[in-house]
Order: sequence, then structure tokens, then C-alpha cells
Amino acid sequence: MVGIGILAVLAIAAAIGVITARQPVHSALYLVGNLLSLALLYLDLQAEFLAVAQVIVYAGAIMVLFLFVVTLLTAGKEDREPPEDLAGQRAWAGIVSIIVGIVLVALAIKYPGAELKVALPANFGNLQGIGRLLWGPDFIYLVGIAIMLLSAALGVLVLNPPKRERQIERQLAAAARAREAAAGAAVPKAESTNGKEGQGA
Amino acid sequence: MIYINWVVALAAILFTVGAIGVMFRRNPLIMFMASEMMWNAAALVFIAYAREFHDMNGQVMAFLIMGTAAAEVGIGLAIIVSVYHKRHRLDIDEISRMKG
Repeated sequence: MVGIGILAVLAIAAAIGVITARQPVHSALYLVGNLLSLALLYLDLQAEFLAVAQVIVYAGAIMVLFLFVVTLLTAGKEDREPPEDLAGQRAWAGIVSIIVGIVLVALAIKYPGAELKVALPANFGNLQGIGRLLWGPDFIYLVGIAIMLLSAALGVLVLNPPKRERQIERQLAAAARAREAAAGAAVPKAESTNGKEGQGA
Repeated sequence: MIYINWVVALAAILFTVGAIGVMFRRNPLIMFMASEMMWNAAALVFIAYAREFHDMNGQVMAFLIMGTAAAEVGIGLAIIVSVYHKRHRLDIDEISRMKG
């Protein structure tokens, strides 16, 4: 029970860190802490396979993807939140979400389910148990996940299509022209600074 | 001995924190991470009740949530990257109209 309390405090602290961190990188690291403490909680709830899958899929794959995108988009940039356009949106959102949170927590504490007193079935939560379900009665969910992941991969390819050769050539030509223009602009500038130096000397 | 209602209360708190993050922040990356926390809170409820009712179908649902979150992160980050390449700003209002 004490262990669960510590894990819960860690998870909540990391969650608050995610939404209050100034930089997205710090948010991502706090989210890793949140996911790992939840994985330990899963282990305590006898969901071995899901605890391991949480560490591998979330902390391993999804967070690495997040960190790639964060470093790609926000590297070395001052990241300040722009002002809110909708007047009063934050105040109302805060009020409503805190009320919803209090109601949810109160409901969760007030109506405890009756815990079954019989022993857990064999293979509860381990790889064998979940594999028997996924390849047996719940096979449709496994197929659904497979189709969903495949269509997500196709969707990513459609959203960011690989560039055609002609586009790349055009971009290279534009870059070369820009470089020439910059060089042309830089030469008189260099001369003028030389002149200044000469004057100073 | 685990008191399931406290675990569900923890999930409710995490869900609320995630919802506050989605509504308060303007950076789409941080909003995305907050929505990941909301997915995780739902998975935690499924796993808690699977433990309480001795029924592993809840764990299968949590597995489904994990797969859905993976697919969603791929698509969402692709949208964020392509919008950023067009506008060069990380602000959620840039995506408000979903128009190229």
C-alpha cells in the first residue's frame, strides 16, 4: 500500500511537471517519469505483460519519436507561450476541469467495487494469458490494431510525401542562387569594413 | 492488498491533469503529451478493474489503447511537422482551420 502511494505521488508530480514545464523537452522527460511509474503500478496490479509493453512501447518508442520531433522543431529556440486569443477561455477551462476532476475522484472513492475474494486465475496478466485471449476470443482486436497501425503508417507517408527529384533539383538551384546573392552582397560589405578598419588604423 | 477505488481515483486525477494541460497550453507538442496522459489514465482504469473482476479482457482493452496511442502519435506528429514546415511557428491556432 505504501509502495502504491509513492508511485501515485510520483505519477501525479510527473503529470503536473508535464503540463507546467516551459520547454517541450522537459515535458517529454517528465512524461517518461509518469509512464515508468504507471508501468510499476501495472506490475502491482498483476498486469506483467502490459507493464513490460508500457516500458517498451511508450517509454521506448513513442517517447523517442516525441524527442526526435521536439529536437527537430524547437532546438535552441526561446519558446514562449503566445497570448490567448479567446477571452476568458483559460479561466472557464480551469473551473470546469477542476469541477470535473473533483466529481470523478469523489465518484471513484465513493463507489468501491466489491473485490472478489477467490484466488486469481492461472496465467493472469502474463504473456501466456494475454496471448491466449488475443489469439483466441479477442482476435478481432489484434487484427484491428494491425490495420490501425498500417493505416497510420500510410497516413504519415501521405502527409509528408517523399520529395520528387525535380523538386530537389529546384531547391538545390534556389539554394545555389541564394548563396551567390549572399556572396555578391558580402563582397562590398567586406570592402566597406576594410575601409573602416583602414580609417581606424 | 490493493484498494481499487484509490487506483481509479489516481486515474481520475491523471485524466484531469491531462485535460487541464490540453486546454491551457498552446504548444501542440505539449498538448499531445497531455493527451497521452489521458490515454494512460483510461488504460489504468481498465487494468484496475481487470484486476478486481479477475477478467483479462480489460487488459486486452488496455493493449488496444496502447496500439491506438501509438498510431495516433505517428499521425499527430506528422501533422505537427508538416504544419511547422509551412508556418514556422509552434502554436495550436495555426492548425485551427486544418487548411493547407
